[in-house]
Amino acid sequence: MTPLLLVLLVPLLTAALGALPAPRRVKEIVVLGGLSLTFVLCLAVAAQFLSGVMPTAFGEALRVDALSALVIVLSGFVGLLSAAYGVGYMRRNAARDVTAGMRREFDVLTPAYVFAMLLVAVSNNLGILWIAVELTTLTSVFMVAFHNRDTSLEAAWKFLMLGSLGLGFALLGTVLLFASAQGRLGEDLDALNWTRFVELGPQLHPFTLRLGVVFALIGYGTKAGLAPMHTWKPDAYREAPSPAGVLMAVGMLNGALYCLLRVHLISQAALGQGFSGGLLLTLGLLSVLIAVPFILIQWDVKRLLAYSSIEHIGIMAIGVGLGGQAAVYGALLHMTYHTFAKPIAFFSAGTLAQLHRSSDFKGIGAGTLTRAPLASMLLLLAAMFVTGSPPFSLFFSEMAILRAGFLGEHVVATAVFLAALVVLFCGFAYQVGRLVLGARSPEGVAPVEPERLDFGLGVTLAAAAIAVASTFYLPSSMVTLIRAAAHLVAGGP
Amino acid sequence: MTPDLVILCAAGMLVSVYLMVGQKALFTTIRLYAGQSLLLAAMAAMMAVADARPHLFVMAGMTAVLKGFAIPLFLMRVIDRIGIHREIEPFLNVPASLLACLGLTVVGYRVSTGFPEGDVGVTHHILGMGLSTMLIGLFLMVTRRKAITQILALLTVENAIFLVALGITSGMPLVVELGIFFDVILAVLVLGVLVRRIVARFESMDVSRLSKLKG
Repeated sequence: MTPLLLVLLVPLLTAALGALPAPRRVKEIVVLGGLSLTFVLCLAVAAQFLSGVMPTAFGEALRVDALSALVIVLSGFVGLLSAAYGVGYMRRNAARDVTAGMRREFDVLTPAYVFAMLLVAVSNNLGILWIAVELTTLTSVFMVAFHNRDTSLEAAWKFLMLGSLGLGFALLGTVLLFASAQGRLGEDLDALNWTRFVELGPQLHPFTLRLGVVFALIGYGTKAGLAPMHTWKPDAYREAPSPAGVLMAVGMLNGALYCLLRVHLISQAALGQGFSGGLLLTLGLLSVLIAVPFILIQWDVKRLLAYSSIEHIGIMAIGVGLGGQAAVYGALLHMTYHTFAKPIAFFSAGTLAQLHRSSDFKGIGAGTLTRAPLASMLLLLAAMFVTGSPPFSLFFSEMAILRAGFLGEHVVATAVFLAALVVLFCGFAYQVGRLVLGARSPEGVAPVEPERLDFGLGVTLAAAAIAVASTFYLPSSMVTLIRAAAHLVAGGP
Repeated sequence: MTPDLVILCAAGMLVSVYLMVGQKALFTTIRLYAGQSLLLAAMAAMMAVADARPHLFVMAGMTAVLKGFAIPLFLMRVIDRIGIHREIEPFLNVPASLLACLGLTVVGYRVSTGFPEGDVGVTHHILGMGLSTMLIGLFLMVTRRKAITQILALLTVENAIFLVALGITSGMPLVVELGIFFDVILAVLVLGVLVRRIVARFESMDVSRLSKLKG
């Protein structure tokens, strides 16, 4: 069996095993083992691609090009990291309100989610792509509702309604794209392969195509959390357990961006870069701008991370929308670095929230550095990463996008983008600084539990080490992959 | 003969969604949705015969069984089980809603003229009605506060998308359609589970109470 099929089968099997009743230790080993194997297989698929053989399966229904290879490596990484932190998370929660049934639910959902994410990235078929995205939505609904609080149910409901609506739009977009070929694609399974759309290019019916592209971009944009379809994000991120939050904030984000890029590629082949590029640029800029006030007035640390995530998908959309090899390379580099950096933020904030049994600033109380020094330091480090401070990685990718923007035709948009970035930097640094370094309030919020260097914090430290290392050294095969993907998106052969 | 029947079915779907807008009883709304799905199934079957596309029969059969019977029965059971009172309380009153829907229908028809062959014959009507039904479904979604009615609105939008797909392409590849059906079923189950949890927690299925999270 090829690695491409195994990469889908292994997480699926892991999810099935997760449903079986077994002692906790055994389950931890099964889930971690399964997802480690998945990550290794992801690397194997990428290696196969780099060696010059394009991995395909079921005709061309599954197909791994540079972009897919990049996304599956990142997804596999995030899946493994999130499962590892999940083990720590569940151990901490063992004495609390989490029952054996809930733990089993978690052991099924995480690998199932990884499966859906990987299916998104390897499918060549727009129909299968849509189905896989829908699967990620349905799995994450249960993750958001996991703790079964009033607010979790509210967040899950909003998420499901907006997510389903977005996917409805994406489905309509897919139908319209298919229709724009006016029967030239036939009715077999491969009729929805995006490679065939790109081949047809200018022969696609322009009006139908435009409408289809708009609907598909709005639909998948909802999943990505681009403004103005972002409203589910803060609620969902606050309510989801931190390991699931990472799956959504990084895994789903990358997956949705991947879908946007596929639609963009089809539109680009038929209508030129301007149409979908302009749309992405507008939505991206709007996302970055909308994050500004909400980060400044934020009252909850996980919601803060959600708005930061809206900002970052905005940055990536801007990079793609600006067009040209350099900007797209910046965007994909940003996606890669963001994947490495964001988990630290979620894990350290999650640790603080678990220790204080609240993720609100009020509930945690200022001055966490004295109470939970390690988690607080890690949160500070994460803040340096996600605000794009030098010398950390995201600074370089943001600079790459800005540079390409100022050299290109969208100078005004880039200037606005830069201004927003500066304000966002200050806002985020202010909020995290206040939380971590601020003076303790007079009544003093005592930590419910003292910080211990447990499994969860260990994983956070490992994630931080990887993120810092990625700043200074990105493996050359990874760079080759990003370059190839940028070449693909910016309109190469 | 067939084109007229097809148009009649599509018109029936549009009428059913208008009736949904004017309807206050929850059970009737569910039955309207079932009827709408059966019309869609009938349409697919007729097109399968007329254009000799056997795979549309599969779609017709699945639509009839799943959306015509299984999903409505499931939703009715959820309502029975949680025993809520069965009136719909819209945010906007009925006459104003109907007027808005009229406007949306005009928009739907106007957009349909941009498609190839979208301004003549059967395609024109199916696309116009499909797009109108979709827009009205979206409208229903934002103006209703009961969880079940929001689900029904979502399902109506989904039906409308299938209607558009039928009108414009005579359906997508079979495997994809099967996958989409599978997903819709899964989504309805997830929604049902969530509604039960919400009712257990809030003792109401009024989603306007879900308003703690802001900012």
